[in-house]
Amino acid sequence: MFVNLNSTRLCSVVQPARIDFHFSSHCWPEKKMESVGMLSRILARSATPRLLAVRSFRTSAPAISSAIAEGPERDTKNFPRQLRPIQPGKVRMGFIPEEWFELFYKKTGVTGPYMFGVSFLTYLCSKEIYIMEHEYYNGLSLAILCIIGVKKLGPSVAAWLDKEVDTYEKAWEQGRVQQLEDLKSAIEAEKKEQWRAEGQSLLFEAKKENIALQLEAAYRERLMNAYAEIKKRLDYQVETQNIDRRISQKHMVNWIVSNVLKSITPQQEKDSLKKCIADLKALSATA
Amino acid sequence: MMSNLFSVFDPSTSIFSLSLNWLSSTLGLFLFPFSYWLIPSRYLVVFNSIGGTLHKEFKVLLGGSFKPGLTLLFVSLFLYVVFNNFLGLFPYIFTSTSHLSFTLSLSLPLWLALMFYGWLNNTQHMFAHLVPQGTPGVLMPFMVCIETVSNLIRPGTLAVRLCANMIAGHLLMTLMGNTGSGLSTIMVSFLILGQICLLILESAVSIIQGYVFAVLSTLYSSEV
Repeated sequence: MFVNLNSTRLCSVVQPARIDFHFSSHCWPEKKMESVGMLSRILARSATPRLLAVRSFRTSAPAISSAIAEGPERDTKNFPRQLRPIQPGKVRMGFIPEEWFELFYKKTGVTGPYMFGVSFLTYLCSKEIYIMEHEYYNGLSLAILCIIGVKKLGPSVAAWLDKEVDTYEKAWEQGRVQQLEDLKSAIEAEKKEQWRAEGQSLLFEAKKENIALQLEAAYRERLMNAYAEIKKRLDYQVETQNIDRRISQKHMVNWIVSNVLKSITPQQEKDSLKKCIADLKALSATA
Repeated sequence: MMSNLFSVFDPSTSIFSLSLNWLSSTLGLFLFPFSYWLIPSRYLVVFNSIGGTLHKEFKVLLGGSFKPGLTLLFVSLFLYVVFNNFLGLFPYIFTSTSHLSFTLSLSLPLWLALMFYGWLNNTQHMFAHLVPQGTPGVLMPFMVCIETVSNLIRPGTLAVRLCANMIAGHLLMTLMGNTGSGLSTIMVSFLILGQICLLILESAVSIIQGYVFAVLSTLYSSEV
């Protein structure tokens, strides 16, 4: 009936959590990347080293028994660890504990405690041990006010307070939950990195091929150079021979012509001229 | 048995002539929540939110002279006064704050301490406070007198305000309750209705008076 201000609505948390924070930073080695074609696992990766923050949280497990490290002298049998109750103790009429009613049940049955209460109050009033003076009316008004207040405002206030408690609890949980998420994403990242690392072997093959191609190209270029040089030299030889032959031929021709010209006598010249004139006359006669 | 109207305020429960009614001041300790567990219970959330809100308010009021932990005194003062006022509304619980001896014991040492500290350590500053800013020159001498008087009656006003409010409320409740024994049933229901309204008022007054007490103490301490 009263707003249960002491209710906690919790799972049984055995003891306040012991929380240790420790950071460890783990730098992944920087890997030089060369983007090769369309292989996605080798494509552009950030070169910054990755920090893996690990916050270890040791919270107590819900079960009482083994999760907590107890000291050797601790007597948990006779002095067990306190369990936080989820709901407060049961009460009847807002403030009278159930246990008081149950005391009467064996002797008097269920109507026993009510009979006892009413008759006791009647006794007090009739014998004027309790006198209904001004304090009684004050108390009555206050009781009515409290009952109305709890009935009307109780649920909404309780709901708001529960929300506040939940917010507080979530804030504590948040560290643990955040750490779990961090670890999960770290595992995912690690797997991805491993997948990427496998792609490196393809890269090596490609690099080897590249180098081989370059070597081949260099070899062929040098081969061409050598061929060109040799050809140049052979061409030179050929040219010199040609020139030599040409000059000697020309010289021979000139020598023959000069000698022939020298050998032509004047009588021979005249004779030849006469023959030519005779030929021409014959031709002109026929023509 | 009530010998007169004011006997409800008489701390007369005595053993060996010790007035034991004053022990009701310690009842407020039972209203403090337990904070053993990590996650707060609903009541602890209420308590913490009250304390937190008051701390923020008083911090603003203290302004430049705020030091960490200074609001603790005033928040505790508020809680003590409110608990005593509020518990006094319950039947058969003695209201300590309706006695001038009690309220004066709260306000006078506080004020005296502030005065001693202020006048001995920041004498010029305290003198400067006697003339408010923007006072016309002609009025300054009168302002000094007025401010001095106002300063001197501060513990009295603090104490008497609280005491008078509490006495008035309880007196009304007692008066109304006393007529109850001679009324018919229908009239008693009207009486109860009236008393409920009065109780709502009294609850508000008890909290407000506590707040006023604490806020004024904060303001007086910020002026030092």
